[in-house]
Amino acid sequence: MADTGTVPIPSSAPAGEGQGGGLSSLPDLRDAARRTLDALSTLNARASLDTARALLEPLRDAREYRALMRLAEAIGRLDPKDFRTRRLYAQALIEVDLVTAAIDVLQAFIHRLPANDCEAVEAMGLLGRAHKQIFFDARDRTDPGARHALTQAIAAYRNPFERNPANVWHGANLVALLANSRRLGIPVATDLDPVEVAQRLVKSLDAVPDSARDEWYLPSLAEAYLGLDRWDDVERTVKSFAAGPGARAFLLASALRQFTRVWDLEATERGRGLVDILRARLLQVPGGELRIDSGDLQRLHQQPAPSDAQLEAILGKRGAQTFKWWKTGLARAQSVASIRPRLGSRIGTGFLLRAGDVGIAPADELVVLTNFHVVNPNGASPGIRPEDAEVVFEAVDADTVYEIDTLLWSSAPEQCDASLLRLKQPVRGIEPLPVAKSLPVLGESAQVYVVGYPGGRDLSFSFQDNELLDHEGPPNGVPQIPGVCRVHYTAPTEGGSSGSPVFNANLWQVIALHHKGGKTGMPKLNGASGSYGANEGISIQSIAAFPKKT
Amino acid sequence: MPHVTFIHGIANKPPADDLLRIWRRTLADATDPLPLGDLGVTTSLVYWADLMYGKPDEDLSAHEGVLENTPAAVDASGGDTPPQPHNAEEAAFLERLRAEMTALSDAQIEAVNTPAVPAQPQGALERVPLPWFLKKRIMNAFLRDVHHYLFDVEYAPAGGTPVHIQQSIRKRFIDAVCHADVSRPHVVVSHSMGTVIAYDCLKRVGGCAGVDGLITIGSPLGLDEIQDRLQPEWTRANGFPRARVAKDWVNLFDRLDPVCGLDPLLANDYRENDAGVIKDHVVENGGAWRHSATKYLRQPVFRDSLRGMLGL
Repeated sequence: MADTGTVPIPSSAPAGEGQGGGLSSLPDLRDAARRTLDALSTLNARASLDTARALLEPLRDAREYRALMRLAEAIGRLDPKDFRTRRLYAQALIEVDLVTAAIDVLQAFIHRLPANDCEAVEAMGLLGRAHKQIFFDARDRTDPGARHALTQAIAAYRNPFERNPANVWHGANLVALLANSRRLGIPVATDLDPVEVAQRLVKSLDAVPDSARDEWYLPSLAEAYLGLDRWDDVERTVKSFAAGPGARAFLLASALRQFTRVWDLEATERGRGLVDILRARLLQVPGGELRIDSGDLQRLHQQPAPSDAQLEAILGKRGAQTFKWWKTGLARAQSVASIRPRLGSRIGTGFLLRAGDVGIAPADELVVLTNFHVVNPNGASPGIRPEDAEVVFEAVDADTVYEIDTLLWSSAPEQCDASLLRLKQPVRGIEPLPVAKSLPVLGESAQVYVVGYPGGRDLSFSFQDNELLDHEGPPNGVPQIPGVCRVHYTAPTEGGSSGSPVFNANLWQVIALHHKGGKTGMPKLNGASGSYGANEGISIQSIAAFPKKT
Repeated sequence: MPHVTFIHGIANKPPADDLLRIWRRTLADATDPLPLGDLGVTTSLVYWADLMYGKPDEDLSAHEGVLENTPAAVDASGGDTPPQPHNAEEAAFLERLRAEMTALSDAQIEAVNTPAVPAQPQGALERVPLPWFLKKRIMNAFLRDVHHYLFDVEYAPAGGTPVHIQQSIRKRFIDAVCHADVSRPHVVVSHSMGTVIAYDCLKRVGGCAGVDGLITIGSPLGLDEIQDRLQPEWTRANGFPRARVAKDWVNLFDRLDPVCGLDPLLANDYRENDAGVIKDHVVENGGAWRHSATKYLRQPVFRDSLRGMLGL
């Protein structure tokens, strides 16, 4: 089970959902945090303490860790004995990778509380999580420092579970870490038998009444069964939280992290199948997001599909169809390239198309489409000139670099923000992306997927908050820029995603060229007043129809 | 921008938005996906279950799954009482329609929990391997919904204000197909009792807009009792609603779908200038309950037909 503290972080929850104080959106939450922080620096600060405390969990749930830390810091100065705030402060520190600082915060108050105090129990779990993170981040896990972290993590999880077997999330992590240490041959907690601990955990979980089983119950049970090598039970349990229409992205993502990182399930065929199926399912669930590096993408693309029996065991009758969809997505990612200056790091994304699909002849030539602000004739900032740029299809071969022969056509950022590139070498073995004839219909919970290289990191699928918000296409859209049809969606994209293909949900056809976005301030389309946090792409069909002088 | 108007069939249903989403998702999740929204195809649903049932089904999974373990999953939700005829004509109609469903009397059904299936089943329900308490509810829902529509019964669920069922549903259908947002090509996809409503409006109601294609799935339009109520506009020789269906009418049936009865073919009964023009397709829906709308929507021939009609 993932360590998330007392209340799991619903990473998939829309911003503001479930937030206290009647806050209905992320901007409202941020404003409230800012105002409260100001109030805590006034002479009447104590009057705002309760308000500030009530904002901490909503900030955590919205992943606004920096704001949480500032608020917790201010509360801690006024009320140093507010252990709940200290614990949430520590959790935020872990989330922003300040792990050793989190350990110091936790240790400072754990020993001031009775061992069975609920805050102490939660803090012990977080302490375990912090040490676990140090262990898994270590390049050499047999290094003495890593071993020490593992020892500390196991001790932190063991203590609350042995004191009270009802602390099942500590138990699940204890089982996982013991199994991991035995696999690696690291002699830690040698007095414990991982199988016996897993049996105790199953017993404890069985004893949890139905009414008290929270959303982490099933993932914990799956881990307990993993500890017993009971694979049929593992798959049946995963199915219970992964297959249904109510599957939650953050649960799937958490299980996926735990299965790959801690359990190393991809080392066996059945484990590989389970993990691959979970990845496929995660991408289907609203709010799901996967980041996969280029090497893994190549491996996953070539990896044989899990058996039909395993697909059905975990996802039911739709398993095979889900997996086929996922494999199609993997195949599409092969056609997405990074754009970078010669010998430099990535500055954007581009993708392979048939020239005819964007209105250029010869129709069957394979060309790369990216943004004008990534590559343009004069290298206008922040872009670069075609002769300075190189294109790499990293998901196929990170070592093959394509140079640009010609800028076939470009359109300024205030229009299509597009540049169409002819490569010097012919592209072989990579399929051009298919292009959708129409934009998806609005108002039907349409999803879109963006595949690109966000933040200059490894190839990343962007699947979070991927709702199609609006577009200027038929039947009701009203384009404001002649010949340009804009598309708005909430998929989070970062720098480096510029030039990414935006796909429709079911068919993996390109509907748009991503070009910009922001957390706030994007003017709404079609005459609607106001602005919102959104990303913007240009409809691929409007790019195709845009007049071209090549 | 192509458009599909769906209309549902007998028995209670989930809320309209949910039902439409379930049907669209069924098409999108198929082995050969037909995600209408992604393809720029707009959709709407003619929803009329609220006129017959007090509140929508909340068990959404029953309507999207393949399990056949609840009344909602087998079109038996809400129809627990048989309709009461108001006159001899209605009584005769109900008696004949009931006979299409089963040869067993109420007393025989009540007498034993699972009446023996005769060697040669006389009614459609005898062929359905479901317990009789479910089959009885299915039959009641079917008889009541068809009767209330074809006889334009004034009716409301408990606590509601009675309305003329046929007039109200006709208005909803016509409002839907005439809506300003509907563009061509426009295809009507109708299921079960919805096929009767769609046909009635397209053939018999003035002011109904024309469409490009019609698909009927699990239709009882082959039953004589229903055809009799569609006269005089319906005739066997010229039953095809050509004035308002510009192109094809495709009909899908499963031979074990009891709502289609023992006469599931439509091409012979809805001819155009005495020529058979409807494309009847027999399909195998599988499982015990062959009338399920989502099972029909999963059929490749359904998606191929719809794709062709929409020009995709």
